[in-house]
Amino acid sequence: MLRLALKSVRHNPKRLILTVVAVALGVSLVTATMTFTSALSRGFTDLFGDIYATVDVVIEEEPAESEDEGFSPTDAAGLFTEEDVAAVQAIDGVEDAAGAVRYEMGALLGLDGEPLRPGPPTLLYNWTGVEGIDRATVIDGRAPEAPGEVAVDIDTYADLEASPGDVVGIATETGVYDLEVVGSVRFGENNELQTAKLMYATDDTVREVAGGITGYSGIEIVAEDGADLDAIVSDAGEVIPEGTRAISAQDKAAEQVEELNEALDIIDIFALVFGLVALFVGAYIIVNTFRIIVTQRTREFGLLRAIGAQGKQIRSTILIEAIVVALVGATVGILLGWGLAVAGGALVEVFSGDILGPLIVPVRALVWSYALGALVTIVAALLPAIHASQISPMEALREAGTSGKKSLGVRNVVGGALALLGIAAVVAGLELKVAGPAYWVGAGAVLIVLGTTLLAAQVLIPLAHGLRGVLAAIGGVNGKLAANNIRREPRRSANSAAALMIGVMLLALVATFTESVKDTFTSQFATNKAELFILAQMGPVPQGAIDVVADTEGVRDVMRYAGIDATVDGTSTTVGMVDAALADAVFDFNVDRPLAEIDGGTFIDPSVVEAGVEVGDEIAFESATGSVTVPVTGLYLNEGDQQYLLDWEQGEQLSDDPFIFQVLIDFDDDVDVDATTQAIEDNLSEDFPLVQVQSPSELEQFFNQVLTILLGVISGLLSAALLIAILGVANTLLLSVTERTREIGLLRAVGVTRKAVWGMITLESVVMALFGTILGIVLGVGLGVALVQALSDFGFERAVVPWVWIGVYTVLSMIAGVVAAIWPAWRASRLDILKAIAADG
Amino acid sequence: MTTTAAPALAATMRDGYKDYGYGEAAVRALDGINVDIARSEFTAIMGPSGSGKSTLLHTLAGLDRLTAGSSTIGDTVITQLSEAQITQVRRDYIGFIFQAFNLIPSLNARENITLPIDIAGGDVDEEWFDEIIGILGLGDRLTHLPAELSGGQQQRVAVARALVSRPDIIFADEPSGNLDSRSGAELLAFMQRAVKEFKQTIVMVTHDPTAASYSDRILFLEDGKIVDEMREPTADRVLDRMKQMGH
Ligand SMILES: Nc1ncnc2c1ncn2[C@@H]1O[C@H](COP(=O)(O)OP(=O)(O)OP(=O)(O)O)[C@@H](O)[C@H]1O
Ligand SMILES: [Mg+2]
Repeated sequence: MLRLALKSVRHNPKRLILTVVAVALGVSLVTATMTFTSALSRGFTDLFGDIYATVDVVIEEEPAESEDEGFSPTDAAGLFTEEDVAAVQAIDGVEDAAGAVRYEMGALLGLDGEPLRPGPPTLLYNWTGVEGIDRATVIDGRAPEAPGEVAVDIDTYADLEASPGDVVGIATETGVYDLEVVGSVRFGENNELQTAKLMYATDDTVREVAGGITGYSGIEIVAEDGADLDAIVSDAGEVIPEGTRAISAQDKAAEQVEELNEALDIIDIFALVFGLVALFVGAYIIVNTFRIIVTQRTREFGLLRAIGAQGKQIRSTILIEAIVVALVGATVGILLGWGLAVAGGALVEVFSGDILGPLIVPVRALVWSYALGALVTIVAALLPAIHASQISPMEALREAGTSGKKSLGVRNVVGGALALLGIAAVVAGLELKVAGPAYWVGAGAVLIVLGTTLLAAQVLIPLAHGLRGVLAAIGGVNGKLAANNIRREPRRSANSAAALMIGVMLLALVATFTESVKDTFTSQFATNKAELFILAQMGPVPQGAIDVVADTEGVRDVMRYAGIDATVDGTSTTVGMVDAALADAVFDFNVDRPLAEIDGGTFIDPSVVEAGVEVGDEIAFESATGSVTVPVTGLYLNEGDQQYLLDWEQGEQLSDDPFIFQVLIDFDDDVDVDATTQAIEDNLSEDFPLVQVQSPSELEQFFNQVLTILLGVISGLLSAALLIAILGVANTLLLSVTERTREIGLLRAVGVTRKAVWGMITLESVVMALFGTILGIVLGVGLGVALVQALSDFGFERAVVPWVWIGVYTVLSMIAGVVAAIWPAWRASRLDILKAIAADG
Repeated sequence: MTTTAAPALAATMRDGYKDYGYGEAAVRALDGINVDIARSEFTAIMGPSGSGKSTLLHTLAGLDRLTAGSSTIGDTVITQLSEAQITQVRRDYIGFIFQAFNLIPSLNARENITLPIDIAGGDVDEEWFDEIIGILGLGDRLTHLPAELSGGQQQRVAVARALVSRPDIIFADEPSGNLDSRSGAELLAFMQRAVKEFKQTIVMVTHDPTAASYSDRILFLEDGKIVDEMREPTADRVLDRMKQMGH
């Protein structure tokens, strides 16, 4: 049987080519991402290794227990004093201990005062003069000695085209600081900073730039040769303040690598999800391919059964073919994925510089690729294989093509049940308070897709029947024949269409969602009365910048919106704070009464209301630096923004340094908007060049851009699935052309031209593609609307049907149909008439 | 085709050669064929297996190209035409009946019969259609799919299809080959009637002396050459002739 299976693959490799490609495309997505993330991980592992290569022990703040810190206030006071450093220095085995002050929130400005390209962080460290701790060697000029002096890493130095004596600015939350360049340094051996900009200054300069902190944020230790690091770590533990810890440099590097890998794992999972979608679509093709192969070989299998082969053996033959496809497909996919990763890596290097380690396919990518490829192929081939094993010896004797048409009854019942179950699961996930709603919706969507696939066959029959007239009008007999062909094998056509349906469905879902988000923004901006916005970008909006704006002539009000970390009844919650008295005038907040009526109390969101809290109840807030108890005075009607909203005054009792993420600026009536905007920009550019003001229309544009990019990225990730689906249409047609060899030969004999044959196949292809696309749009928009409605608590006002995208997808699917038909149509129109009519049926 | 200007011959071949393969494996299937097919005549082609009967039929009908020589359909020299032009000639002037798989499975009998007219975009001559259907006894089978018809009925549908567009010439390759003797006899009688009553021209390849006896003229083929011909054949005479050829 193995020999028979391999022979069958060898004998007719063409019919498996597209199947292999389908598997390969899905797998390549997984391999490419995993290769890429592992290269990224390697690159940063090297960096962390370098950073901690020369230091032996690090003393630092105890890492927070919980991950979700939210807005963390910057600590004004340093963690360690000079005395702490001295105490550590005195520990046995410590050769050098130095306090570290580091500021990583600033942004280096060019020599012309303009901000450099955003992206990689600017790191400002104190120069200790201890070589192992500084990790850098002076190349040009000298190290910083006096306040206001700075040494810059060699790459940044070259980028700036700086020379000793030049003055560079570093923009921070508190303004721009000018520092005099005194030299350049090389970090580690090769200045491998993964494109970060590194600068060294004296302790006090760093403290000043960081906003006037005191003390040190860490202590670093170089041990004597042969010293016991564990002992140093435990000794240090004795002398350092509460809330800090000592850790060996090696462990610290490992910890950071682990943290990074955790983040990269999320990317891997993301890729796996999209890879799975692609493979899921691929499974449809595989089912179709094997189904057709089984039909074509019915006589052969019947004959085998007649001469004594067991049904089980026939089944194995098919499954072995499937495994061969899976192995070849996964291998090709891995190579393709590696190629993609290398290409992507080259692209990244162009934009972001040298941040990647070597691009090697990691073992887990191999395991996933082969496992997924094999799983999908075998599962998909299982049903056709079982069908094949049930072929009776009688089939060998029967005329080909006359085997009775099986009714679609079972298929319809199963399909209907699956679809209903899916709808129920989606509704449960969205409307009922079930645990893990995302899983319910996801599983429901899969069930709906499967159910629709099964039902699609039934829909296709009357549809193709109805289409016959239309197609006949367009394409004459060819149109009629195309409609017949679609109807002849409704299962096959439905599967091909459904493969496309899945991709289009996801696209339409995302499009509906993003268009609805856009619509919500647009309508919010329609009610907005503020002339300008400032949004937090890298860090919070600096209070200094807000003061500059408020002092500009023509500005009436400046309303701040900030977030703080606090707990209520011991559980951490999200708390927002606004200048409540100004709020109603500048923005139409979704509240049950004007915010001006907050009256020193708090507005609560729907989730708190659900927990049983009512207007009039007292709420006690606690934070690291304070506490306040206020009554509930109103309702904030959007869920997901923050649970509690406070007025500025009450908020300040919880935090003296809240994270301001949004500022709304209201101008005096009858001032020149453009001139005032310009004046604000001019005033800001001096001390706060990083702060950008945006007009509502700019902001709206910006949001729309972000959403469009999001849509683009998801479409890009779905492109593998869509490509596979189109290959599926091509594959089905190709196989059915082979099956219809005699028929097409006959048509050619009685005078149908090649062009007309081409037209017939193309028509078939376009109809199938359109059918899948329309189903996908209906499902996708339906799910999208359901999702938006379910999220109406989060401020979605209404679901928007993305007509433009629907139009685009429809046109594209028609083009895809034409393209998918090229190979099969070429084959069909080139058929040798004589061979076709002589072909052994 | 108009009858007024119709040439006397429906099809001809001059010095027709057909080679398959190259070098060692080369086979000469047709070896200098000269043949004239007269109008309104029922011509049969006979010969041992491998003698080139099908090849001759295919090249005459424009399904295949000669290696050398020329052939005509009516007054058109098809050996010089492009693929698309030959297709058009087939569509407009030729009918076909094959041994099996004559019909498109997804079209019903009626649609199969009118297929050549539909392809050409013409109108069906309903009177003529009804007459053919009447003669072939297919009246109550028109809405059936090929799979729902017997082998004999399928072949009759094929004959009807060949006749309905009134082609200049019909080519048939063993049309009764798959039928039992009674259905075969019926089919051949219909074809004979089409020639006698409707002045149809038919060229038929066959192995069977009885089938050949329905024709007006038999061409005997051996090793790609026409070795003999016989007019007004009877089954016995054909059988004798075949025996001479060592068949
Ligand atoms: N496509 C082909 N390639 C190579 N040789 C061919 C091809 N078609 C036919 N031949 C050869 O040409 C010769 C004539 O074949 P043809 O099919 O015309 O014979 P035939 O008289 O119709 O035989 P039969 O009675 O068995 O149908 C044979 O020797 C055959 O092997
Ligand atoms: Mg033959």
